[in-house]
Amino acid sequence: MRLRLAAMLAGLVLTATCWAQATEYQVKAAFLYKFGGYVEWPADALGGAGAPFTVGVMGAEELAAELSQITSGRSTSGHPISVRSLRPGDPLEGLQVLFVGRDDAAHLPQILDALHGRPVLVVTESDDGLPDGSMINFVLVDDKVRFDIAPASAEHGNLRISSRLLAVARRVVGGQS
Amino acid sequence: MSEAVSERKGGRSAAGVVRSGAGALFASVLIAALCAVARAQAADERGLGELSLEQLANIEVTSVSRRPEKLQDAAASIYVITAEDIRRSGATTLPEALRLAPNLQVARVDSRTYAISARGFNNAIGNKLLVMIDGRTVYSPLFSGVFWDQQDVMLQDVERIEVISGPGAALWGANAVNGVINVITRSARDTQGALGVLQTGNTQGQYGFRYGGKIGETGAFRFYGKAEDYNRTELLNGSPVFNGWGRGQAGFRADWSTGDDSFTLQGDSYRGHGELSAVGQPTFSGTNLLGRWNRRFADGSGLRVQTYLDHASRDDILTFRDTMDTFDVEAQYGTPLGERQHLLVGGGQRIARDETLKSLLIQFIPANQNLRWTSLFAQDEIKLAERLKLTAGAKLESNIYTGWEFLPSARLAWKPDSRQLVWGALSRAVRAPARVDREFFFPGNPPFFIVGGPNFVSEVSNVFELGYRAQPTDVLSYSLTAFRSFHERLRSGALPPATVQNMIEGKSTGLEAWGSYQVTRRWRLSGGLTTLAQRLHTLPGSPDPTGPSALGNDPDYQWMLRSQLDLPAGWEFDVGVRRVAALPVPALPAYDAVDARLGWRANRQWSVSLTVQNGFDPWHPEFTSSGAAVNQIPRSAILSVEWRP
Repeated sequence: MRLRLAAMLAGLVLTATCWAQATEYQVKAAFLYKFGGYVEWPADALGGAGAPFTVGVMGAEELAAELSQITSGRSTSGHPISVRSLRPGDPLEGLQVLFVGRDDAAHLPQILDALHGRPVLVVTESDDGLPDGSMINFVLVDDKVRFDIAPASAEHGNLRISSRLLAVARRVVGGQS
Repeated sequence: MSEAVSERKGGRSAAGVVRSGAGALFASVLIAALCAVARAQAADERGLGELSLEQLANIEVTSVSRRPEKLQDAAASIYVITAEDIRRSGATTLPEALRLAPNLQVARVDSRTYAISARGFNNAIGNKLLVMIDGRTVYSPLFSGVFWDQQDVMLQDVERIEVISGPGAALWGANAVNGVINVITRSARDTQGALGVLQTGNTQGQYGFRYGGKIGETGAFRFYGKAEDYNRTELLNGSPVFNGWGRGQAGFRADWSTGDDSFTLQGDSYRGHGELSAVGQPTFSGTNLLGRWNRRFADGSGLRVQTYLDHASRDDILTFRDTMDTFDVEAQYGTPLGERQHLLVGGGQRIARDETLKSLLIQFIPANQNLRWTSLFAQDEIKLAERLKLTAGAKLESNIYTGWEFLPSARLAWKPDSRQLVWGALSRAVRAPARVDREFFFPGNPPFFIVGGPNFVSEVSNVFELGYRAQPTDVLSYSLTAFRSFHERLRSGALPPATVQNMIEGKSTGLEAWGSYQVTRRWRLSGGLTTLAQRLHTLPGSPDPTGPSALGNDPDYQWMLRSQLDLPAGWEFDVGVRRVAALPVPALPAYDAVDARLGWRANRQWSVSLTVQNGFDPWHPEFTSSGAAVNQIPRSAILSVEWRP
């Protein structure tokens, strides 16, 4: 038995090659992928079966790369997921989710204007609380990625956020804005 | 049996631990580990996308290594009870919430008393578990156990409860023999605004409120208050037991940060009482105040300093009449050493003044005692290879009875890919003497039948663990742990007048398994199983007439299954089933309990739920250590209303 233990430990040492660590953007990307399953879009906003479910990422190249990796070959509610890297001013047609990173947060008012109440889940990462019009905002709390939700803003875009997602949120922000 | 004893006298090496019998349990975990090797080659690396929302939101834990760490990487049998699990269980008290951890044995003895343990030795005065609330140790040095009626939190403000079964002594010190429970409440930043809770039912009533606000730009506070009362439990023969009780508690927490520093200040005060009976009215009260300072340095190192004051008092004319004042201060510093290592060092000092009065059943001699614990620990995490991590650490802790105790451990974790972890650990843990071992006299007046053992020394456990954790598919995750603990010098008795001695030894072997399965987007199943085989015996020459059964009354196994179902329009339907096997000595039959909860989130402000516990059974007993006057735990229904304006 002593030999078996020694052999096992030796085996563990020999076969080891990679110890993964999650970064902030990896976790945020995983959340963005997950959100699709906990938000209801109006029936006509998703297109027919097989139409892509498009996540736009603005001002966060690293996150876009992580998200592409996580979602490659995956689908949400039967729609294949596609990730589109965007710059301020790019057209926003055909999006279901739009992530606006820190670097482009200043453009948020124009972006919301351009969306004009269309059913697009707007996600931000502001450290100073949920920006006006944003539906979900990531925050870092004690080294963990958490998020706040503004259901009223989501309703403005005709989106329904499931109670399960609300339950996981750090905070559900009330104000009817 | 005598062969095992002689082997033990010759001392024991790690290999000896393994040699003295690797049963089927170890073999099965070994096979799981080998399977992991085979699967590692084929596995892809999209891990995070397969975690649930809750797992993503709780991607770090703190207890095992005393610094944030992802749960999947922790080389220990750790289960995290999430806030969502607590809410959907309908639990209204801390001990009831602890039932959610598959690696704990929770038995309600009567209206006011719980027996809670991990890996056996369960007893209403169980003594091998370290329990903390926000880093404050809450077990009493009087008997190294927890007065559960004195511990409470606003459950709605709990962020998570980390439950580690198995030894944590190398970091947490003496008493962390069979497990560590760390109740972690939310930062005040996460409990902003008002909350009102009203709960009422056939066995209890409870109400509470909380309000949280901001302090300047970076700070936040909350304060809360709650009150509750609990009805009597009954005996099967219908004779009354005067064990109804009530309590009230208020407290606050403030968190703020400036640059690289963050601070927490929190405190609670409580008061409670039992029913008035022929032997008077038991009362208890307490107050605590805790401060914590964290600093993060640019090189990745960090410093944490924590101090608290705790006053706890209990006056029961039948049993304990005790006032304990504790001051504790501890500091720890963690720093990366090069690319491959992370070193954590720390130390602490705790002093306590304990004053007792003679009760009808118990006298402590001397009545008053000054207690003192000093500790130093170091732990190094070494990345042996890209996927292999060794954590070696030790704690030195002194107490007034036995001086310095040495508590080492070594943990090895291998991560074949991002979705699997194989780990093994060897640890030595001790339970240092409590006042009840050394200075306890029964009954309250001479002639005494039981007297404390002036030569009673620490109980020692050497523990070998092997574990495997995996998330093989998008929706399935599970954890398996096998352990064998070798105990020496456990507490034993003698014929009256009995002196407390250290003449029991033996081993415990068991398996802990749990998992969860997201069946559909709206339906989640989870379950857990623990088994335990204990082989304990008194040493030759021991005059103990009772034997090992006095140390605990443990079921061979327990299992639980839970289902959480989201229904349309904000409705939720949750069911939990558990079975606890029969208790051996004194015998108590196995029981099954079915709990169900129907919840409705009416809107953002209001939510309502109805919870029925023990639904298919008017009552059942859960625990006894004497066999006499066994309390029946009744069926209960609780209506709960929460309001968040």
